[in-house]
Amino acid sequence: MTIKKISKKDMVELLLDWGREMTVLVPSRDKGVTEMTEWDGKDISFLGWYRNTVIPTKSSFLPPVEEMFTFQKNGNGYQIEVSPGQGKRVVFGVRPCDARAIAIMDKVFTDSHEDPYYVSKRKNTVLIGLGCTNPYDSCFCTSSGISPAESTDVDLMFTDIGDDFVIEEITEVGKELLATASIVKKASQADAVTMKKARAAVSGMVTRKVDTKNIVDKLQACFNDSDFWEKVAAKCVGCGVCTLLCPTCCCFDICDELFKKQGARYRTWDSCGFSSYTKMPMENPREEKWRRVRQKVCHKYEFFPMNSEVIACTGCGRCIRLCPVNWDITEVLASVPAEQPIKNK
Amino acid sequence: MEQELRKEAKKLLEEGKVDYIVGFATGSLKFSTTPLITRDKEEVASLVINPFIVNNLAKFLTQLPGRVGIVAKGCDSRSIVSLIQDNQVVRENIVIIGVPCSGLIDMVKVEKLVGRDRDEIDDVSLKGGKVTVVIGGQKTELPTEKVLFDSCLGCESPSAREYDTFIGEPGKETGGRGLGKDKIKELESMTTEERWEFWKTQFSRCIRCYACRQVCPACFCERCFVEESEPQWVLPAPKWQDNLIFQVIRNIHVAGRCTDCGACERVCPVNIPLRSLTKKMCGLVSEMFNYEAGTDKNAPPLMTAYEYEEAKDLIR
Repeated sequence: MTIKKISKKDMVELLLDWGREMTVLVPSRDKGVTEMTEWDGKDISFLGWYRNTVIPTKSSFLPPVEEMFTFQKNGNGYQIEVSPGQGKRVVFGVRPCDARAIAIMDKVFTDSHEDPYYVSKRKNTVLIGLGCTNPYDSCFCTSSGISPAESTDVDLMFTDIGDDFVIEEITEVGKELLATASIVKKASQADAVTMKKARAAVSGMVTRKVDTKNIVDKLQACFNDSDFWEKVAAKCVGCGVCTLLCPTCCCFDICDELFKKQGARYRTWDSCGFSSYTKMPMENPREEKWRRVRQKVCHKYEFFPMNSEVIACTGCGRCIRLCPVNWDITEVLASVPAEQPIKNK
Repeated sequence: MEQELRKEAKKLLEEGKVDYIVGFATGSLKFSTTPLITRDKEEVASLVINPFIVNNLAKFLTQLPGRVGIVAKGCDSRSIVSLIQDNQVVRENIVIIGVPCSGLIDMVKVEKLVGRDRDEIDDVSLKGGKVTVVIGGQKTELPTEKVLFDSCLGCESPSAREYDTFIGEPGKETGGRGLGKDKIKELESMTTEERWEFWKTQFSRCIRCYACRQVCPACFCERCFVEESEPQWVLPAPKWQDNLIFQVIRNIHVAGRCTDCGACERVCPVNIPLRSLTKKMCGLVSEMFNYEAGTDKNAPPLMTAYEYEEAKDLIR
């Protein structure tokens, strides 16, 4: 893999260069919450304060609300106009946890059916990773096999080595993006060593751990242990913070807005934590709160790995940081009983 | 004080006076606490009281069967009283363990003042009307007016007034400082157009996680109007107009029940200043009806009572 480097002070120029051909998204807090937002062409102060966004990068592919098409009553039928697709974009600053989450979402949205809305955005977007330098105390990515400063789930990977970034060209698309950028220099052997050291140091800063050994079996064994799940779920208030802001959770709801003879169809984030989840066909099969909490845990750590051989939690820690009651998935996983429960309901 | 609380909680469980204890335990993150809901008399040993007990525990009362012993600050106790008024909680089924409160520390304010995130701060403590922040051995003292939650700064009765037992001494705190209204005053000074733009921007980032509703003790409806599909009052999609309408209706629904605990604003993951709406509404309730939510368990709920004099101004 070729590695290159760029001085941090040249970053404006590089982003401007990319901006000539496509929309550039960077971490921003201008809208009152940190999220990937269209770059203003000047400000790169995020390189100083950015740890991770509250709104995960998934929102660039599965937005909280997305217009699918508009419709207008036309005689006996409806005239439908599909909403315009996404132009070319580059998202700069994706953290390894969020990049892995997108790789996981790719499975969901392309597996048996290609979702045109997701896929068109995905195909038109270049992902540029930026390794962490200061993980939160709630981060536990290393337990999901992710290194906080390394990723191959992106097109280019940036690693902070002080005054410069070392850049790894992961994909051909990424390589092309650097081909014409004259401010990007070749990196030396010494830079590669510095990068490796920097990465190891950041990895060591992630101290929260989850023991995922045999987790599928353990969760399977306690699936019917309602006493355990009721206890785990007791303090959960049943909001959607942990799921909606989870980088891998991608359940959505679809609704129509109709006014007089015209309207639009929207796709929106939905959560298995809501008591109203899946009520549109009939009922929510998970009537009690503990069943919904169990679903959230088991989908990530039991069902998803069984189906796709990967844990659908990247350890970004948002669900812990943002939870109104400090419901901590790492504590819950640690408390999963090791043996087959005696009591079944 | 914590020892006394733990002893009391254990006693209540042992004597069979309650089935559950609801209180606070230390959380898994720095400067956090987490609700402790337990039937285990050993587990109550982890009960804590500190300036980070931010949740309004009254929320859990409507979810637990049997008799419940609940740790209550002033705002929790007001919410409990309000639930009693609304027949959501039977007074005889709960044992209120009142605790004193000198205000809760708003870590967002601390983070802004010291320029560090909470996990980068070594210690934060509240003593003698001052908050001390320690970072890398360096101490910074901050006045409470700068770092307590707005709702705490405006709190009239920080300690529980409705209780069965009280840990420490009740009523020693100084309430009613009349502070914590900066954001509301700023909004009041705006023109209607400016205010509309302000709320449009705020509600544009709402993701409809419903954390505000889920933590609110006054939101006890079994089925919320947002989930109605026939008719559909608001779109489930988080469009700003619908987000705004959701919040406006929620405000009206909790009028006379909202005790200004500030939980809604505290839990909003996208930082919408929701208390600017609820506190304004509390002010209106107070002005129009001379009513303070959660202060009299024998009073009829605001919206069910009607006095002849009200007709003069309200019904024309």
